[in-house]
Amino acid sequence: METRNTASGNVFKERYYRYHIDVRDASWKIRLPKKFRVKIYNNCVNIQECVQACVYNVHRVGEDSRLAEPLEELCRGCHRCTLVCPKGAICIELNPEFQKLGDSYFTPERIENLFFEAETGRIPVSGAGYGGDFAGRGFNGFWFDFSEIVRPTRDGIHGREYISTTVDLGRKPHSLVFRGSQLVSEFPRLIELPIPIILDSPLYSSSGRNLSLVLARTANKLGTLSIIEAEDYFDGLKPYIFNLMPRIRPNGMMDYPQLIKYSRIVELDYREEMISEDEMKADLRYVRELNPSIIVCARFSSVNGMVCNAEIAVRSGVDIIHIHVDDRSVKHDPDIIVDTIRRVHSHLVENRIRDEVSLVSSGGIAEAAHVPKSIILGADAVAIGLVYQIVLGCRVCYGDRHRDDCPMNVEEADIGIASQRIVNLISSWRDQLLEVLGGMGLREVRRLRGELGRAIFYRELEEKVFGDSE
Amino acid sequence: MMQGKLIFKKPEVKPAPFKQSYFIMDKYDVIMDRAKCITCGICTQTCSSYIGSATIDYEAFKKPEGILRIINTSNRCLGLDCQRCVKVCPTGALTVRINPQYLILGDKRWTADLILSTWEQAESGKYSGRYEFRIGDSGGGFDRIRFDFELEDKLNPSDVFEVEDLDTSIVLNRRKDGRPKITIPIPIYSADMSFGSISLEVMIARAIAAKAWKTFTSTGEGGYPKELIPFKDNVITQVATGHFGVSAETIKRARIVCLKYAQGAKPGLGGHLLADKVTPEVAEIREVVPNISLFSPFPFHNVYSVEDHYRHVQLIKDVNPKALVSVKVSTPIDVDMVAIGSYYAGANILQIDGGFGGTGAAPDIAKKNIAMPIEYAIPIVHNYLVKEGVRDEIVLMASGGIRTAFDIAKIIALGADGAVIGTSELVALGCKRCGNCERGRGCPSGIATTDPALKLLIEPEWGAQRIINMYHSWKKQLDYILSKLGLRSIRELRPKGVVKFKNGRFNHLIHLDHNGGVLERV
Repeated sequence: METRNTASGNVFKERYYRYHIDVRDASWKIRLPKKFRVKIYNNCVNIQECVQACVYNVHRVGEDSRLAEPLEELCRGCHRCTLVCPKGAICIELNPEFQKLGDSYFTPERIENLFFEAETGRIPVSGAGYGGDFAGRGFNGFWFDFSEIVRPTRDGIHGREYISTTVDLGRKPHSLVFRGSQLVSEFPRLIELPIPIILDSPLYSSSGRNLSLVLARTANKLGTLSIIEAEDYFDGLKPYIFNLMPRIRPNGMMDYPQLIKYSRIVELDYREEMISEDEMKADLRYVRELNPSIIVCARFSSVNGMVCNAEIAVRSGVDIIHIHVDDRSVKHDPDIIVDTIRRVHSHLVENRIRDEVSLVSSGGIAEAAHVPKSIILGADAVAIGLVYQIVLGCRVCYGDRHRDDCPMNVEEADIGIASQRIVNLISSWRDQLLEVLGGMGLREVRRLRGELGRAIFYRELEEKVFGDSE
Repeated sequence: MMQGKLIFKKPEVKPAPFKQSYFIMDKYDVIMDRAKCITCGICTQTCSSYIGSATIDYEAFKKPEGILRIINTSNRCLGLDCQRCVKVCPTGALTVRINPQYLILGDKRWTADLILSTWEQAESGKYSGRYEFRIGDSGGGFDRIRFDFELEDKLNPSDVFEVEDLDTSIVLNRRKDGRPKITIPIPIYSADMSFGSISLEVMIARAIAAKAWKTFTSTGEGGYPKELIPFKDNVITQVATGHFGVSAETIKRARIVCLKYAQGAKPGLGGHLLADKVTPEVAEIREVVPNISLFSPFPFHNVYSVEDHYRHVQLIKDVNPKALVSVKVSTPIDVDMVAIGSYYAGANILQIDGGFGGTGAAPDIAKKNIAMPIEYAIPIVHNYLVKEGVRDEIVLMASGGIRTAFDIAKIIALGADGAVIGTSELVALGCKRCGNCERGRGCPSGIATTDPALKLLIEPEWGAQRIINMYHSWKKQLDYILSKLGLRSIRELRPKGVVKFKNGRFNHLIHLDHNGGVLERV
């Protein structure tokens, strides 16, 4: 498949085409437990009212003209059969196996939605109003604004107006320098991604070769990037080098000169460290000596040192900052990811250096809305990790329960379909991003970045309406 | 201005039960191991002597073996606190448990209790007090706002029905523009739901109920079915972005015309009727081709400024010089600006649809994440209109997540004039909030569907009676709230000045903290 990137150095193709993701059915061996259990008690007198009543064909008449076992996987919990049964013999229950899925953050409902998106590539749509919590913490703590009457809106969802989801990652010059009519400042090194979503390396599990291949292929199909631990790189990934973003520990850089040389982007993983400007500059110098056109991303995982590290990274000349918050921390304190992105973004804005770098955030991404929500808080793009693992079978143990028998086991034969599942998932997320952008009247996702004025914060509203202050 | 006590005879309450008992979803059920049962009947005697009515189904005894589920046919089982039948059973054949179906019915906003209590009220016009009928479990908004008297004493259901009738009427036009002063006896009219998203039978049921209560229902944006013409004095017609079935004739027919700019469940996104639901009948009324998905775009492509908006309102007013114009908007961050714009454009009624409003089909991402809830929007808009000095010239109606009579009273105390009710009416008709309105043949309860077989589940007369009954109970609750607060009229409940909470209290309302305690601020 021809790659559609127009990265730095690539000449724009003359032919115009709209970005399009190929969605195909991708149901496979891994299935979720059924949501409902349909129990028929012995009160049943076989009058089969339920067969007539069920619009989802859960109840059937068997060969012996008696009621057959209900097809529970078709049940949607509408209760109709239980209401028509004169004996009260039918009881619909939530399947305990379903309830056990995931945890308090990756809830069974979220996992169910992720599976739906991965299998069909469609947007979850339902009737009736929203039925969940009024508001919550973290990403649930704010709503999007939208356009009404007097602001131009976009009708991108149904394809009538084009909404761009393209983002540029990389460093942009603070100003341009000319000599006469000649531009002398360096042309910015940018990577243009058609979607603001990149694939993080698998979290909490070692990535087998098959999984790396799945991710590389997916990134290639989507025209985005797949982060891969440098030690996991193998020659089979060579065709996809354009879509890879090797992650290297700064003190281990000497081991991977070839990888640095041939990649167009590299991620230096500083983890929890606090870093000084000199050290970082030295690291950058080493990388750029090997590959002058390479784009360098610095990844930080220390929440407390994030702001400080980010500023140092900008001042040392890093192109991209990757803010990573561990999903487990987000599960315990959902506010942590929201606060971290907001703090880093605001700090860089206040110091007037925000536009010199791109921000990538990861952590706590569990549903489609979290992508635009991360972006409105200040990120340019989002790296997803656990969600694609979940659609490949991960059961969210954070490396604890299934250390030796990880259910996310991608076999040779599954590579194509596994990749298609992630493609479908991201296609669905992109469509949902378009919904949000259309609703907000934005024609491109770049405009959403850091638009805090168009996020409606729950706590601020509580204070404004029910608080004492004016 | 004549705003005296409205001479109005309330419609009669008549029982309108479901064909089958809904107690199958009651809080508790009993299961019996038939192998252990010796049919001594002690459990039944004990239960009937204690509760006054047998809750055990004798039919169950006839089956020879296996585990039987005994539903309590009179919804009076006291459940885990009682367990008398279990204790007296000599062979230990019985188990009382929380009904698994009760556990999966509804959601956080519309809890099983709210659905069951709404059904109860729709069936008989009363409620037993068995279920929590005032608030849900969403942990915010209405569910954390209570009237001060609610915390002081326990509500006794029978008290509510002894309160004398008070004035709950509101006037829907407060401008001096020569247009009619339409008065409705309850501060409620019913929401816009289009033909296609709901069946014609449901529309007619709602229209009959609206006529009986001398209030309004709305056609939604899917055209004006001719079956509604007999109810034209109680039908609002909507002009929405798709302009489906809108003509000068339908606008002239209506006493109120609603200009729909946005819908709370999917603000900024326009409407979407899936192809399956566009049957030939729907297509004819909407003037489109059958079996093709219909999109109503967002926004009105002839309204891109407040001046356009003004012209838009005037256009309707010119077509029908006697109609009131209602403008329906949702809740963006600058909803107060939108409101003042609509006031200057000449709207008589401003309907604000909060983010948790209902829909026939909307992307989950929009329902959850776009626009603010109505509990914030109403005080913000009210305060702004008060400060601009125009609050008394426009009628502010709230919709989107208003579920109960108490919600209505709360939103009025927060600054609205009245409420627009959609989902509750459907729940009265038997909606269980399963959210499958848009799948396949449509609503399994026969409400949000155009399937020729399913729609027969709702008979208009029966459905209308259920809605009438529910409003009857609501009216009594509003009377009760007013009497508790020492007010004579619902119009006195709406704040005259700005809404301003002090120590979490304002206008008889208390905003509770997350643990349900009274908020103490230092």
